[in-house]
Amino acid sequence: MGTNGKRGLDDQMKTVIAYKWARDGERAAVREDGSVDWRNAKMTAGEDDPAALSAAKAIAAATGGALVGLTIGDGDASWALARGVEQSVSVTDAPTLTDNAQTAAVLAAAVRAIGNVDVIVIGDSEQHPGVPVTLAGLLGWPAVVGIDSATARDGRLEIVRKVGDDHQVLSLATPAVLGVAALSAEESAPGMKELLAARKRPLTKMTLADLGITVADAVSNRGSHLPATKPVRVFDGDPTLAAEQLVGALRADGAL
Amino acid sequence: MSMDTWVLVTDARHVGAMLAAARGLGTPVTAAVVGSRALAELVAAAGPDTVVWVEQDAQIPVEAYAARLAAAVVLAAPRVLISSTAPAARVLLGAAAARRGSVVLPAVVDLAADGDHLVVQRSAVGGAVIETLETSSPVAIVFTGEDVEAPVGSPAAIETIPADLPASDLCLIRTEPAGGDSSGVRAAARVVSVGRGVKSKADLPLIEELAAALGAEIGCSMPVADDLGWISKDRYVGRSGQHIAPRLYVALGISGAPQHMEGIRDAKVVVAVNSDKDAPIFRTADFGIVGDLYEVVPALVAALGTT
Ligand SMILES: Cc1cc2nc3c(=O)[nH]c(=O)nc-3n(C[C@H](O)[C@H](O)[C@H](O)COP(=O)(O)OP(=O)(O)OC[C@H]3O[C@@H](n4cnc5c(N)ncnc54)[C@H](O)[C@@H]3O)c2cc1C
Repeated sequence: MGTNGKRGLDDQMKTVIAYKWARDGERAAVREDGSVDWRNAKMTAGEDDPAALSAAKAIAAATGGALVGLTIGDGDASWALARGVEQSVSVTDAPTLTDNAQTAAVLAAAVRAIGNVDVIVIGDSEQHPGVPVTLAGLLGWPAVVGIDSATARDGRLEIVRKVGDDHQVLSLATPAVLGVAALSAEESAPGMKELLAARKRPLTKMTLADLGITVADAVSNRGSHLPATKPVRVFDGDPTLAAEQLVGALRADGAL
Repeated sequence: MSMDTWVLVTDARHVGAMLAAARGLGTPVTAAVVGSRALAELVAAAGPDTVVWVEQDAQIPVEAYAARLAAAVVLAAPRVLISSTAPAARVLLGAAAARRGSVVLPAVVDLAADGDHLVVQRSAVGGAVIETLETSSPVAIVFTGEDVEAPVGSPAAIETIPADLPASDLCLIRTEPAGGDSSGVRAAARVVSVGRGVKSKADLPLIEELAAALGAEIGCSMPVADDLGWISKDRYVGRSGQHIAPRLYVALGISGAPQHMEGIRDAKVVVAVNSDKDAPIFRTADFGIVGDLYEVVPALVAALGTT
C-alpha cells in the first residue's frame, strides 16, 4: 500500500471491465402464442455497461493500473475499445446460456486466463442478476452489486451506493467483483474517430477450448407463454363518463 | 434428491412471497437471515420450519458475511436456494450457489416440483413472456413473483451461526444524505405520478388538484425530474429512483418503460391515463382511461368531488 498519500507500484490495480453484447430484448417481438421473434432485435451492449465502464475507468485512473475489456459470445470487442479501453479479450464461441452460473463460469475462466486481475467491474443487469454475484462466488472473491460508482484509494476500492435517502461509502479490499447499476442511459456515444481508433487496438480472441472449459445449460426449456395478467379494465369515450366509471370502480375495489 | 429449500434473507421485503413459494414445494424450508435480531424474529414468525441467523455488525455490510453463509449452505446441501433481487441478498445467493454448484436462474415467478424435477416459471423479454424451465440440478433462484403478506404464526426456532469475520475486508466508511427526502412518496398510500405526457411545468397545478382530491403524494417518471427538472429528483419512481408500494398508483402520461415499472412492482392498484391505447403501461395497469390527460384529470377531480 502507498504511504503518505504517494502511490507505490503495488497500488496499481489490474481492472477488468466485463460487458455484454447481446440482442436487445426490448426490440424482440412477442407473438400471440407467446413465442419470441428475435429477428429484429439488434445487438447492443447492456444498459448498465456504460456506467460500469465509467467506474472501471475511475479505478484504473486512480491507481495507474491496466484496464482490460472482456466480453463473451458474439461480443463486439470494439464497444469497449471505442470507449477508451486499450485492450480487450473476447471468448468467441461461448453460447447464449439460460443458467447465469454457466455465463459466470465462462467469465471466471477468462479472468483466470487474463491473470493477476484485482477487480472485475461488470454491469449489474436486470436481465442477468445472477451473473456478477455467481462470478464472485466461483472466484471466491467478495462482491458488492447494485452500486452507483467506484474508485480506488490507498490500495482499496471505494464504492458508493444509494440506500434509501442516503449514500453509503464502502471500502473493500481486492480482489473483488463490483456490479454497477446505471442510473440513466449513456450520455455520449463514441464518434467515428473513436470507432476507427478502436480497430487498431489489440483484441485477444479466446475459445472455450483455450480456457479448458466446457459449458452447457443443465436446464431444459419447455417453451414460453404470455403472462396470465388479469385484464386491465379500460374506460374510454367521453372523459366525464370514463372518470365517473373509474372512480366508481376504485371505490368498489377499496382503493379509495 | 430432496427439495429442501433455503430462503436467503437480508431485509423484510418479499419474505412472505419467497417463503410461500418455498412452502409450495412441500418440503422443509429454512430461512437464512443475515441482519438484526429483529429481522430474524420477523422472519421466524412468517412460516419457515427453521431459521438460521448470522448477526450483522452495524458497521459491516451484509455482503461481508457471504462466505460464512455459503459454508453453512454447503453443509446443509439444500436443493433450492431463493433470494430476492436485493443486491445484498443476491451476493449471498451467488456465493452459496457457486459453492453448491447450483444452476442460477433469474426473474423466477413460480416454482413447482414434478417428481425429481424442479419446474420454474420465469419472466423473460422484459416481462412480455413467461418461460417454463425444468432441471434436475440444484437451483438458485432470484425470485420476482408477486408479493404476498406473510402469515403470522408461532415462530420457528432461531439457530445462531457464529460470524467469524475476516477483519475489514469490507466495511462501511460513512453514510451521507443523498440530498433529498423521499419519505413522503415512499410512505404514501396513494401516489399520483406524472410523465412526459404533461406538456409544461405550468400544468402541474392541475395534477396537484387531483393529488389533493385523492389525498395523494406526487411522484413522476425519471425524465420529468432529471431532464426537465419540474419535480425534485427524490420523487421519481423506478429502477434508479424510488421503489414504492402504495395502495393506489395513478400514472398520468407515463408510457410504462420497464425501468419505470420496476419501481411500482409492489403497488396494489395501478391506474393509467394515457392517450395511446397501445402504451405498454396498459399491460400492467389494473384500470385505465384512454384519453387526453388534460380532459381526464379535471373530470376525475369533478368525479371525486361529487360522488
Ligand atoms: C439505465 C436506465 C435507468 C432508468 N431508470 C428509470 C427510472 O428509474 N424511472 C423512470 O421513470 N425511467 C427510467 N429510465 C427511463 C425510461 O427508460 C423511460 O425513458 C422513461 O420512464 C419514460 O418516461 P415517460 O413515460 O414520462 O415518457 P415517455 O416514454 O415519453 O411517455 C410519455 C407518455 O405520455 C403519453 N401522452 C402524451 N401526451 C398525452 C396526453 N395529453 N394525455 C395522456 N397521455 C399522453 C404518451 O402516449 C406516452 O405514452 C431509465 C432508463 C435507463 C436507460
